[in-house]
Amino acid sequence: MTEMSSILETDGLTKRFGGLTAVDDVDLTVESGETRAIIGPNGAGKSTFINLVTGLLNPTEGSVRFDGDDITRQEPHEIVQQGVSKSFQTASIFPEMTVQENVRMAALAAERGSFRFDFLSRRDRLTDVADVAEEKMRAVDLWSDRAVDAQNLPYGDKRRLEIAIALASEPALLFMDEPTAGMSPEETDATVDLVEQVQRELGLTIVLVEHDMEIIFRIADRIAVLNRGSVIADATPDEVQGDPDVQEAYLGGVEL
Amino acid sequence: MSDDTETDGGTTVDVTPEEENLVDRLVAAKDGERFVAVAAFVGVFAMPFLLIDVLGVFDTLIGLSLGGFVGLPTLILSFGIVAVGYNILLGYTGLLSFGHAALFGSAAYAAGIFSNNVVASPLLAVVAGIVVATLLSWPIGFLSIRRSGVYFAVLTLTFGQMLYFYAFGPGSWLTNGDDGYTPFDVAGGPDLFGSLAMDASITTLFRDVTGLTLTLTDGLDMTVGYMLAALVSVLAIVVAHRIIKSPYGLILKAIGQNEQRVAFVGLNVFRYKLMAFILSGVFAGAGGALYALSKAGLTVHPNATLYWVVSGDFVIITAVGGVGSLAGPLIGAVVFEYIRLVVQGITVPGTEFQIGSLWRLLLGVVFVVVVTLFPDGIYGGLSSLGDRLVERFGAATDDRRPVEEVEETGGDD
Repeated sequence: MTEMSSILETDGLTKRFGGLTAVDDVDLTVESGETRAIIGPNGAGKSTFINLVTGLLNPTEGSVRFDGDDITRQEPHEIVQQGVSKSFQTASIFPEMTVQENVRMAALAAERGSFRFDFLSRRDRLTDVADVAEEKMRAVDLWSDRAVDAQNLPYGDKRRLEIAIALASEPALLFMDEPTAGMSPEETDATVDLVEQVQRELGLTIVLVEHDMEIIFRIADRIAVLNRGSVIADATPDEVQGDPDVQEAYLGGVEL
Repeated sequence: MSDDTETDGGTTVDVTPEEENLVDRLVAAKDGERFVAVAAFVGVFAMPFLLIDVLGVFDTLIGLSLGGFVGLPTLILSFGIVAVGYNILLGYTGLLSFGHAALFGSAAYAAGIFSNNVVASPLLAVVAGIVVATLLSWPIGFLSIRRSGVYFAVLTLTFGQMLYFYAFGPGSWLTNGDDGYTPFDVAGGPDLFGSLAMDASITTLFRDVTGLTLTLTDGLDMTVGYMLAALVSVLAIVVAHRIIKSPYGLILKAIGQNEQRVAFVGLNVFRYKLMAFILSGVFAGAGGALYALSKAGLTVHPNATLYWVVSGDFVIITAVGGVGSLAGPLIGAVVFEYIRLVVQGITVPGTEFQIGSLWRLLLGVVFVVVVTLFPDGIYGGLSSLGDRLVERFGAATDDRRPVEEVEETGGDD
């Protein structure tokens, strides 16, 4: 709210599971249009943080503001409808539906809201939905595979389908949970190109959780480092690289 | 609802003439609304002839009559409609309800009570049944859908049993309890539009309207009541087809496959699940009311309508016929009712042994065999056989499938 250009702000965001504090008093501001990486060792609270912001989990304390509006404790579908989308770490797709049906699902929601009483209308006449879906399938280069059942896609294509679904929700802010995990070097390269491209073309704000430092230094504008649920650094890649706290807590053994 | 002249527009495939092939065109038309309506119409009106074997075809060929009786087709349709709706819930949304007997039974009682106390109109009784089942499915669905899996199933079962015990005991003033309720207990029997007796035959109707006498063998004749049931069924099938081809068809299927992801594309999963439950309630209502109509002058009993075993029967009908398809549940209803009502009365040739109450054992064997051999039910088995035939005789290749999909979206503008 204080800065005109911030799109997401968390204020004292905290999540406790019993005695464990997974996310501890996190104040994080994401600027509109930037690519922000969140890094941290396993168990640092990265995924929990994303789940708190996207509505899968409710915070114990603190609040989340998106585009000036308080979205704390809203349902996931409400948060998505406001423009926050997420691509899952493991491809979360609809296995027995075609690629096209997968992407159209997301486009349906984006174009027509979270619920409609239209059970007698014909979905093959929803040209707006079809157009959005086609655009996203072409963007991730799955257009030629649109009639294939999602479960029959190779692994890398499933991950790209996952991204297409997230994009078809027409978000302003996209969370990507390790988009290149398990990919071959070629697939990783192609996916990073894709992320850069959609970021540029759609003016998206991207928050990226990633382990691959090479990718992070290539595309991130800023990096937030989480350790044991707390933010220990939040700066540009160069600054983070030189930060002694980060080196000690997290990057000690990593070749940069 | 089905008066859509552009019906084929959505599925017509824009192919060059040399690619056209009768088999392909049939495959392309198969999903069209007009095709579904015509097939349903032919099916429901042909069924009595096939089952009752009036022409003695099976008798001549295999020396065995199918042994159907006049009331059987109506019962098949009433259970079939319920299963068509139930499939939207189980086959698409993946929700296993054990409470649909509550909706079916309430509609049967509502139709009967309405006809005896308000107006003895079969058509309005069907409407009354649908309204009551729909209104009842809302709170049952609302309270049950908050829980998933086994808890959902048990909650629906609980609501169903609550209604059953109410109808059996405390509610006897309304339902006549264990003695059974007589729907359409009106002098001279119920009439359609005030002048057509439900048990009047179509030959009588023909004579009354035209003054000419038409002679048919008994079995070829149909009652006005069956025609009403048949037309309601055709309408129900067309509406179910519409639902499957609407955004709901896709969204409900997606919920069945990956519920969390549906929420994360921005859809309200709870409301869509509730709608699936209510829509299936509408069909259960139509089926229940038709069931009451078929029992005109006889009795409707809680054990045959509201009891949880009836809910299980809907599951079996849908699963045997084939979940996730429109025709499957109808096929399941034919098989189920045939075993329940006809095979039950068969005496094993050469012995004095009658199948009798062993029909459930037999049904169980059929269920196990079908589900083991064809995980997608009888219809699933038939359609995979059909796919193989199309592959063999059709010109369609895999390359063309995407083209179809594209045309499906762009065909109308």
